[in-house]
Amino acid sequence: MAKTPAGIEIPEIIPDKCIGCQICISKCPVEAIKLTPDGKAWIDPEICEGCGQCAEVCPVEAVDLDRTERIKAGKRLRDKPFTPVSGQVVSVYIEIRNGKAADVSWELVGKARELADKLEARLAAFVLGSDVEEFCARAGSLGCDEVHLLEHDTLKRYVSSLYGHALSELAHKVQPEILLMGATSHGRDLAGVVATHLKTGLTADCTGLDIEEDSGLLLMTRPTFGGNIMATIFCENHRPQMSTVRPKVFPMPGLNEKKWKLIRHAWRPPESSVPELIAFIEDKSLLGIDITEYPVLIVAGKGACSKDSFPLLEELAGLLGGVVACSRPVVESGLMPYERQVGQTGKTVAPKLYIGVGVSGAIQHRVAIQGAERILAVNNDPDAPIFQVADAGIVGDYAQVLPELISRLKAKVKNHE
Amino acid sequence: MSECCDVVIVGAGPAGISAACILADHGVETIVLERGEFPGSKNMSGGVLYGHDLARIIPDFAERNCPIERNIVESRIWFTSKEGGYSLAYRDRIFEEQRRHNVFTVGRARFDRWFAEQAGQKGVLVVCGTVVTDLLKDESGKVRGVRTDREQGELEAKVVLLADGINSLLAAKTGFRPEPDPEHVALAVKEIIGLPEETISERFNVAPEDGVSIEILGSVTRGMNGVGVLYTNKNSLSLVIGGNLKDFARLRLKPYELIEDFKTHPMVAPLIKGGKPREYLAHWLPEGGYDHVPRLYGDGYLIAGDSGMLFNALHREGSNMAMVSGKIAAETIIQAIQKSDFSSESLGVYAQRLKDSFIMKDLKKYRRFPGFLQKHEDIFNTLPDSLSMAARDMLTVDGVDKKTKQSRSWKMIRSKTSRLRLLRILFNAWRSVK
Amino acid sequence: MHIVCCLKQVPDTADVKIDPETNTLVREGLESILNPYDLVAVEMAVRLKEKHGGRISALCMGPPQAQSVLRQAMSLGADAGILLSDRAFAGADTLATSYTLAQAVLILNRKTPVNLIICGKQAIDGDTAQTGPGLATRLDYTQLTYVTAVESFDPKNKLIRIKRRIEEGQEILEAELPALLTVELESARPRRASLPELIASMRKDIEVWDKKKIEGDANQLGIKGSPTWVRKMGAPPPRTSGPRFEAAKGLREAVDQSLDIIFADGFMAEELGIPTGVHHGKDSRGN
Repeated sequence: MAKTPAGIEIPEIIPDKCIGCQICISKCPVEAIKLTPDGKAWIDPEICEGCGQCAEVCPVEAVDLDRTERIKAGKRLRDKPFTPVSGQVVSVYIEIRNGKAADVSWELVGKARELADKLEARLAAFVLGSDVEEFCARAGSLGCDEVHLLEHDTLKRYVSSLYGHALSELAHKVQPEILLMGATSHGRDLAGVVATHLKTGLTADCTGLDIEEDSGLLLMTRPTFGGNIMATIFCENHRPQMSTVRPKVFPMPGLNEKKWKLIRHAWRPPESSVPELIAFIEDKSLLGIDITEYPVLIVAGKGACSKDSFPLLEELAGLLGGVVACSRPVVESGLMPYERQVGQTGKTVAPKLYIGVGVSGAIQHRVAIQGAERILAVNNDPDAPIFQVADAGIVGDYAQVLPELISRLKAKVKNHE
Repeated sequence: MSECCDVVIVGAGPAGISAACILADHGVETIVLERGEFPGSKNMSGGVLYGHDLARIIPDFAERNCPIERNIVESRIWFTSKEGGYSLAYRDRIFEEQRRHNVFTVGRARFDRWFAEQAGQKGVLVVCGTVVTDLLKDESGKVRGVRTDREQGELEAKVVLLADGINSLLAAKTGFRPEPDPEHVALAVKEIIGLPEETISERFNVAPEDGVSIEILGSVTRGMNGVGVLYTNKNSLSLVIGGNLKDFARLRLKPYELIEDFKTHPMVAPLIKGGKPREYLAHWLPEGGYDHVPRLYGDGYLIAGDSGMLFNALHREGSNMAMVSGKIAAETIIQAIQKSDFSSESLGVYAQRLKDSFIMKDLKKYRRFPGFLQKHEDIFNTLPDSLSMAARDMLTVDGVDKKTKQSRSWKMIRSKTSRLRLLRILFNAWRSVK
Repeated sequence: MHIVCCLKQVPDTADVKIDPETNTLVREGLESILNPYDLVAVEMAVRLKEKHGGRISALCMGPPQAQSVLRQAMSLGADAGILLSDRAFAGADTLATSYTLAQAVLILNRKTPVNLIICGKQAIDGDTAQTGPGLATRLDYTQLTYVTAVESFDPKNKLIRIKRRIEEGQEILEAELPALLTVELESARPRRASLPELIASMRKDIEVWDKKKIEGDANQLGIKGSPTWVRKMGAPPPRTSGPRFEAAKGLREAVDQSLDIIFADGFMAEELGIPTGVHHGKDSRGN
């Protein structure tokens, strides 16, 4: 290992391993790392302070830094070993839109219960709006210890600044360790406001949450680089640890007989102008069918990207009570709308059954379907990566396989009648 | 009013950028128009470059982190039969020591980009994502600029240098270069095979930064008039094999079959064993060569590099010829600017200087080679096998004395190829490259 | 009238792949591009400028190489490009990024009051969609996310009317300026720069602002001002694969065998009305 002129041990880039992803460059606090014209990272020993963050984030272990030193350095970063502190709170924001709560909020209540148990903390729900008390009971019945209700007329309609102000104030009062929200358009709009008010860290769009055992920190996992890499992120010194989480990542929790209490909060809205709603054009078509709502997805990929395939796909979907979705190339070809796209840039899905037809299974697609209970893949390329995640696969042309699949399924279902 | 500058160069490849660098060094205001989103984006292939030629444009290229894959320290020529072949290798310590960077391999996508950055630092504007659709001419037919596919896309210049490569849209459109006839079109197939760096160094018996290039003749082209090439990159091998388009048609060969076959040849297979195919591409290119070089200059324009057919399908030194021709073109333009004379006559110096350079000499030297290969198909079919049988016989230890073996071999070769024919092949081969 | 566009240079994620065999990142010429959403933001700003006059400042935080995205914005019609580049800015998460941008906007605002900030909805390398809301909150601008169209713009009366997309449809909102919009991809189709604009943009200077220029508080900048840290990166967790059947070797067998596996253990039997354990009931792991 190299040393700086001052004798500090500093990491070195192993050029052969370096793939030039530049993650280390963005993480280096002193900008000691540069990209050479041949696309490799290079650490300037004059500038480097040996903090080792580059080694920490390097996805291919191209940073040569003594591992034990690194771990020590990492430990030093954290204050003390973790022991659960009594009186801590894990919280979930319950998203209510047009008199309906978003499912993801309940999914998060379920997950947050787990996290709270690990931390021996209380679980709190934040319910905001106008005339929304009915949702408190639901939150309580799914495992919350306390439900904080903030009602005000101005919260009838969602306005970023008002909701942001109200939720920030609630968080200020309750002082939660963790605050979770759904990564819906509403949740993402609000989370940025709240995190900025509270001056805390926010990890958006997570697909995994856990508590790190020795530190008690919330580990938030999210796909990055268009879903090609999973990053685990933590927020060490700021509270609450905030995260927005994708819908359908966690299962809907069951009923919990626990006792809970309702805490009402008063609030005075800030005196600022509020956007005026001039018109609302209801347009469900824009949203299309919500593919995440269906138990069975028949997903068309590049290999089935043809008008001829659709009658077969529709028939199969009809037979199984599902809906036809697709991967990116099909959207790009204009055959299906964006709303039907599965994949990192599209939607994460967790159906009971996923049938991929001509889907090659690029990594972002595979990530997006990993919540599926069972996966069947049909593809004429035996090396298609989709087979790596499929419970069963059929190597063959969809034009032959689908009719047979449909007829065999019909026979199966008929047997029963 | 349209934009203007001293020189417009079409294409940010080796020819165009070489010219741009030289022009910028002399304070000539130069704009390079590139149709790709960045230089090299349209160029996935790798290539072999000569340090000597690059140094005449960027003397300190090695210090400027030129993205070199491997220095070629050993050149091999193989003469193959179906089951094996002869190998002739030459290695010289001088290429590992004093004359490092004599010849080296580069990934063109990365090299082109680096090269264009050097030009940018010299003050050249490299404008990407812009396609030149036509040339602007005045009443007398003198080229006075270019038209691009962008709005208000005319750009006027004292001289236009066409360096937009082998598949130049402009060359075809403007008629400066005649379309090659099918007889003189080669089809090349290329595959990049990924292997760990250490494995390559081990298999080719070279240091980590050094490499080998192999030119392969004989049965690998399945009797076609063509050649195979294999060279080492940092962590991949480039395999190229190509032949005359007419032969592909005649033999009903599919390009990917040819390269698959090539990969299973007993001399090739062990070198690429365990490798992972990274890229495959097939493309056609004119065979080029001395007899196909068009007029490379005219009123207000010059042509350099591949678009001027300044390459040799057999020797594939396109990138080097491109750089040198770009440099000479730039020097010609500088003189023309000093004289303020951009006529065909003034720019014609370019052709004369090219003739005096190694480019035309080399092209001339190999002038008869394509024809020779065409007339002597034996080289690609019967002869390799006969010669191989002879060697196999000679090297097999079976109690038969060498003299008997020798005469047996001769008999066999002669039964397939007459003595006279053999003599003629040798003579013609020698003459064609003399 | 002064519009600020906030830009980010991002890797072209289409190029980043993980080798399925070795589970490492494959990088073949990873390109840096202007975030496509931000390109739309610039287009929207240019259209407003064409109609109402005024000035567009493009703002980008990043390393020196990021000036290429500012040039691109200028080739499309931005009047000035400002690169926020300083060692101290590096490693910023959304909180620190919105702080840095906010400081820069405040400086710009002193010279020519800013009426509107337009950002892309999200960056394709992070997909967080949080910097816009963070910036609006810091500056106390009206926050308008997921905007698909500007219906009217009236800087004199400090009013803007926009259309924005939410789950159930489109809202038309009228709000006070100054405001911050985050825009959807479909809101404007970016133009192609003309040749003179493109050449001119390459000749223009890019202003580089460091932490002193933006009067930044060192504790709120870059990695120091970022509460979140990346602990580790890796390929997504694997899922085990089942058998593959070749249709060429018998279509019916392939279909039947794979259906048996999928519907084993009475999976979905109830919903679909598939009999359990009768014909295909060899597998009784679940019972």
